[in-house]
Amino acid sequence: MNEITEPTRILFEGFQLQTIYLFYAFGYAAIAVFIYGCYVQIRKYRRGQPDPSWNNFVTRFGSMVVTMLTHRTIKRRDSAAGKAHALIFFGFILLFIGTATITLEYDIIEPLFGVTFWKGSFYLWFSLILDVAGLAFIAGLLYMMYRRKWMHLPKLDYKRVDREPGDPDYDRSEYRREDWAFLWTLIIISVTGFVLEATRLVWLSETASVWDVRMWSPVGAFLAMIMKGIGFTPEAAGVFRTGLWWFHGMLALAFIALIPYTKVKHIFTASASLMFRDEMAGRRLPMVPEDQVEAGYKKIDDLTWKSLLHLDACTKCGRCQDACPANAVGAPLSPRDVILSLREFANKALTKKELPEEAELDIHGKDVGQVFMETLWSCRTCLACVEICPVAVEHVPIIVQMRRQLVEQGDMDPILQKTLGTIHKSGNSFGESKRKRAKWAQDLPFEIKDARKEPVDVLWFVGDYASFDPRNQVVTRSFAKLLNQAGVNFGLLFEAEMNSGNDVRRVGEEGLYEFLATSNIGTLQSCDFKSIVTTDPHSFNTIRNEYPDFGGEFEIQHYTTLVKELFEQGKLKLNKQNNKRVTFHDPCHLGRYNKGYDAPREVIKLLGYDLVEMDRNRDNSFCCGAGGGRIWIPDPVGIEKPSANRMREAGAIEGLEVFIVSCPKDLTMFEDALKTSGFEGQFVVRELIELINDCVEYDDSIIETQETAEHVAV
Amino acid sequence: MKILVAVKEVAALDEDFELRDDGRDVDEDFLLYDLNEWDDFSLEEAMRIKEESDTDVEVVVVSIGPDRIEDSLRKCLAKGADRAIRVWDDSMEGSDSITIGHVLAAVAKKESPNMIFAGVQSSDEANASTGISLASKLGWPHAAVVAGLKYAANDSKALISRELESGLSQEVEIVCPSVLTIQLGINTPRYASLRGIKQAAKIDIEELSPSDLGLSDQDVGLNSAKSNIRRMYVPVKGRAEIIEGTPAEKAAKLIDIIKNFKGE
Repeated sequence: MNEITEPTRILFEGFQLQTIYLFYAFGYAAIAVFIYGCYVQIRKYRRGQPDPSWNNFVTRFGSMVVTMLTHRTIKRRDSAAGKAHALIFFGFILLFIGTATITLEYDIIEPLFGVTFWKGSFYLWFSLILDVAGLAFIAGLLYMMYRRKWMHLPKLDYKRVDREPGDPDYDRSEYRREDWAFLWTLIIISVTGFVLEATRLVWLSETASVWDVRMWSPVGAFLAMIMKGIGFTPEAAGVFRTGLWWFHGMLALAFIALIPYTKVKHIFTASASLMFRDEMAGRRLPMVPEDQVEAGYKKIDDLTWKSLLHLDACTKCGRCQDACPANAVGAPLSPRDVILSLREFANKALTKKELPEEAELDIHGKDVGQVFMETLWSCRTCLACVEICPVAVEHVPIIVQMRRQLVEQGDMDPILQKTLGTIHKSGNSFGESKRKRAKWAQDLPFEIKDARKEPVDVLWFVGDYASFDPRNQVVTRSFAKLLNQAGVNFGLLFEAEMNSGNDVRRVGEEGLYEFLATSNIGTLQSCDFKSIVTTDPHSFNTIRNEYPDFGGEFEIQHYTTLVKELFEQGKLKLNKQNNKRVTFHDPCHLGRYNKGYDAPREVIKLLGYDLVEMDRNRDNSFCCGAGGGRIWIPDPVGIEKPSANRMREAGAIEGLEVFIVSCPKDLTMFEDALKTSGFEGQFVVRELIELINDCVEYDDSIIETQETAEHVAV
Repeated sequence: MKILVAVKEVAALDEDFELRDDGRDVDEDFLLYDLNEWDDFSLEEAMRIKEESDTDVEVVVVSIGPDRIEDSLRKCLAKGADRAIRVWDDSMEGSDSITIGHVLAAVAKKESPNMIFAGVQSSDEANASTGISLASKLGWPHAAVVAGLKYAANDSKALISRELESGLSQEVEIVCPSVLTIQLGINTPRYASLRGIKQAAKIDIEELSPSDLGLSDQDVGLNSAKSNIRRMYVPVKGRAEIIEGTPAEKAAKLIDIIKNFKGE
């Protein structure tokens, strides 16, 4: 008796056995299509090169789950989209769990053990929760539709910056259609689900165990009320239900079958991409294996399986494009387009049963589907795209791998080619004699130790710009005086120091990088020191993150943390404070690359300055345009440079007096940009070291030789 | 089909150099070595012909000098040259450019190429005579300062344009085999990546001595040189001075200087 009155939903109620079999046949067919699709995708990934990212499986899986549950990455810089996605995501998950629960009882536990549990109060709560989940799901989908139709977000415009209107792959309209098909399919499935629920209530409105508990499925109850109101009889509802049931069921099965073939697959690929995320992506570029003949990515199957997987994870959200400095100034690069081009290429070339001929696998060139070299050379490897990608696509390593191939082929700006030759010959990008590397130190009132000849505590790796660029030499001398004043036992490598190779590596000249890195590591290992300091974030990054791959394990600090410590330890003292209104530009290689956001800010505040942040700060800092070797490639004339774009942003801060940088290349880039962008006279660009130098108390002997930027003709 | 490309490793001065004790050259410590800039272009021209040809074209680079020049030959191999030959023994020290041309001619006889390219000149010595003396020793036709070349593998004639003074060009038809000295800018030389150079280390550089080429001690080195360097020096530079001050002061200062020059 109990079993009859207890509320539940009888599956396939009123169905003939044959129709139930028919439905199962469709179900199995859908699953078969789904599995075949997955097989083709997995075969595609397996055609890529090996990658060791299967390590730490448990940790990786855990962090993926946390990222997905918190929606941390999707909420960043677009919280409305993040919340809407959360509604869809959790709605979908709950609806999936719901369906799985029913399957568990109906197809497994009941036939095997004769036990049922989907009834009574469990069933009622289940109904309520799934109704809410369904509502959330629909709400999320509606917002996504609104976003696409009415918000006109540039990042959701798939038109390409690297193609001309009229080119066959210019506007990517098929992606737009796919987006809409995806949203409509889900909306229709969920709405028909609710209507189906209501129809059942009307149909069984005479059955107390159904009708009396209808408020546990409130949406269904509400719709049932309307249906009754417009004159639906139980019999009519019964007929209507059969048709709608099949429509809803077939659509849902089709959806499942199509998952691996459409953007829906991101539910798997994005999760996997998050799981295989490399925390060091871009910070530490991959080495070229000893036995590999060609460097970098030339053909689509030169990509590792992990890179191929990342391509499929992209959901075209466009956050990378929004953050990209090259894109912001109209360069023919959108990180998303590079990823999508390669994805389309892989889907065309690597999903066939047999691999096409080698010539058809070449991803470089001017044909439809290929990536232009102008696109690759536009990248400044600032990591803004990698940083913001919600699904852990690693654009920069892919771009650099492709550049390695361009370098091998010599497809690069002649000036860059010349600079690389110069670096090989002289060990620095200025083409200066090695002997002149420490010339900046000549007129200091004290001797700097030669770390090659005597032990020191701190070895100062100066870097090319700080050593040879006249404007930066002023800063370099100031830093030497600060170290000297603080009583730090420090020394230099003098002419044995070579370009650290950070930017050479990001250009894609891996052979030259290996040469520079191993030379520097050899020199460093022959010296006796405790730790390294540098004022150059680029050198900082490669020594910290990449030298270990070549056997060079060193402790290294950027100067901002060292200076902060020296103040804390009382080794440096202030003799005045300054209350000027300033802003701080996070260098890519200190901030995004190495999370050194706080030390410079703490020092700035210590000096008393009124720090006002620009809109794009910390992990969203906007590259000066010099990274990835772009400092050696002239920017095209007639379009705004990224540095000028940044000056406009700073210029919008009312009463700004000083634009603070903490990177030699930034000083060069922004002092130039200040002159050309019309803010000269309004505020100045200065290195943080110079500001510290202004406020630090020096012993008398040093004050006499005080030197500030104003005294130097720049 | 074979193209012989004669190349040279040249020296560039480091900052603040010193002269050798005998005063006839720069102290080697202050020299940086690299492949002669012109040779990048002549090798590229040979590579272009090779790559555009349907038949097999072998590009052979040859250079004369001690061990260190292997770096430059490797760079050529990295750019795609098929073979590299280095000719040297100590007796060759002090050879002048005409002698070098003659040694190269001996290599050419051994290799019997269909075409020989050399740079117009070397950036360190600037004699611009090696290629021409090579042609004269072989008795081959030659053209200097070639700024444009229409030639495909196995052609019996090459159409070249030569760069003359005052922006004039000259179109010349030349019978092959011939020796061409190639001017900068004729093409865009390719980049030799460091990985390429490293990989080229696996290719053996063929080493020859003068005797392998049928030359005696008398044919090379100081023994055969008809010119030799007596001394190298930095000429005393003229003086320049910027006169500062108001226009009137400047004028007064200028008058002083003129008077001084006139000896008043």
